[in-house]
Amino acid sequence: MKRYLTIPILLSLALTACTSDESPSSAPPETAAHAAHLTAGGAAGPESLGTVTDMSLYNLESDWKTQAGESIRLVNLKGKVQIVAMVYTSCTYACPRIVADLKRIETSLEKVKRQDVGIVLVTMDPANDTPAQLKTFAAANKLEADRWVLLTGEDAAIQELAVLLNMKYKKAPNGDIAHSNIISVLNANGEIIHQQEGLGVEPDETVKAIEGLLL
Amino acid sequence: MLSRLLIVLMMAGVCYKAQAQKSLPQNMVNVKGGTFVPLYGDENGPVEVQSFLLDAYPVTNAEYAAFLEKNPKWNKGEVKKIFADENYLRHWANGQNIGPDAGKISNSPVVNVSWFAAKAYCECQGKRLPTVAEWEYTALASETKANAANDDKFYQRSLDWYSQPNPKYLPPVQQGFRNYYGAYGMIGLVWEWTQDFNSALLIGESRSDASLDRQLFCGSGSSGAKDVKNYVAFMRYAFRSSLKANYTVGNLGFRCAQSKKNASIKPAKRPAI
Repeated sequence: MKRYLTIPILLSLALTACTSDESPSSAPPETAAHAAHLTAGGAAGPESLGTVTDMSLYNLESDWKTQAGESIRLVNLKGKVQIVAMVYTSCTYACPRIVADLKRIETSLEKVKRQDVGIVLVTMDPANDTPAQLKTFAAANKLEADRWVLLTGEDAAIQELAVLLNMKYKKAPNGDIAHSNIISVLNANGEIIHQQEGLGVEPDETVKAIEGLLL
Repeated sequence: MLSRLLIVLMMAGVCYKAQAQKSLPQNMVNVKGGTFVPLYGDENGPVEVQSFLLDAYPVTNAEYAAFLEKNPKWNKGEVKKIFADENYLRHWANGQNIGPDAGKISNSPVVNVSWFAAKAYCECQGKRLPTVAEWEYTALASETKANAANDDKFYQRSLDWYSQPNPKYLPPVQQGFRNYYGAYGMIGLVWEWTQDFNSALLIGESRSDASLDRQLFCGSGSSGAKDVKNYVAFMRYAFRSSLKANYTVGNLGFRCAQSKKNASIKPAKRPAI
């Protein structure tokens, strides 16, 4: 009997893979509603998923956790301009400089309203970067929770987002991750409208792109 | 008990065919693990590849059409542009139909598919795309040797293929040569998507501007190559590095892989029924 049972188990596992592709109507996790600062105009329900534009990163339906341990989908970031970068917290060289670059952009945004722009850091190292670790990192770097969202998710989800952000990365056996350094600006619909490549880049162009969306 | 089983079977209709195989799934080959030195690898030397299963053939137009029947979200004309660009399935008539060329290309590799589409196809079969390391490791094999890296004739044949223009109609997948592992047409049919195509060309974290749009291959990229003679691998790495996940290309197809541990049946989590 046991032998026959394994088949349906396998079958239903396969089913998950297929139907998750087929059912974009499934609602974001309930807890997302509590992450009020992440959404414009309240909780993002299925109806807001329906209005995701063709080139929006919010077409990705993966599940993520914030530094506060909240479950969200990327569509919960919809409604405001988001500045997005990928890092990992045990990274000693490039990532602190990316965070510094993001802060530099942030301080140059005095013309726009604070609540109109969010900053999103996505880890490339979910095994080490738990929500708790992200929280510690946020505190150590004085990343204020009303503006900075730090995200971790499954490897596959991270890779999907990474390829859409044109990020290249490769994990070395020693735990280091070689990666590109890109800061992306998303409009309120989640479409990439500007990318800044490299470290220590003057923030002018990026700031101009953000102001162009909001002023 | 029986009704529960029935429900599961009904629900699983989409993918059950691929999963019904228990031991070695149909048309997959066993690639015995080992180590190899990739063209662009870690400075630490050889890379280890675990034993895995790989599709014997690239996915064909007919197989892809069958996938679309169950997953209309990926139909030509319906797929979101962020997941597949405007040339998606451009060699097909429309929607789910291969069109007038069906007689000629049903059994040929499907091309003009994006990374997202290829990935969705494989996941629907309970599989995944092979990694760059897995793909390159398998492609080292000639008909008779697991590693034909030092076989001049084998190398020359690969080079000859890469220097030929694409035929108007790609040949059936069975026409590719069968390598040591039983995989057909790793070289000689089409280029193929890999799971981590976006991992190529990163040599070190100190490269502050490592990014897709810089022409790294014209600069220090090429000097980091392990075996400068291996121009065919060089071309594959260069090609991968030029891709974005929604790109579709007229000679770029894919085949799926499966990790060994997933291939064996183990009592995993009970499904939520």
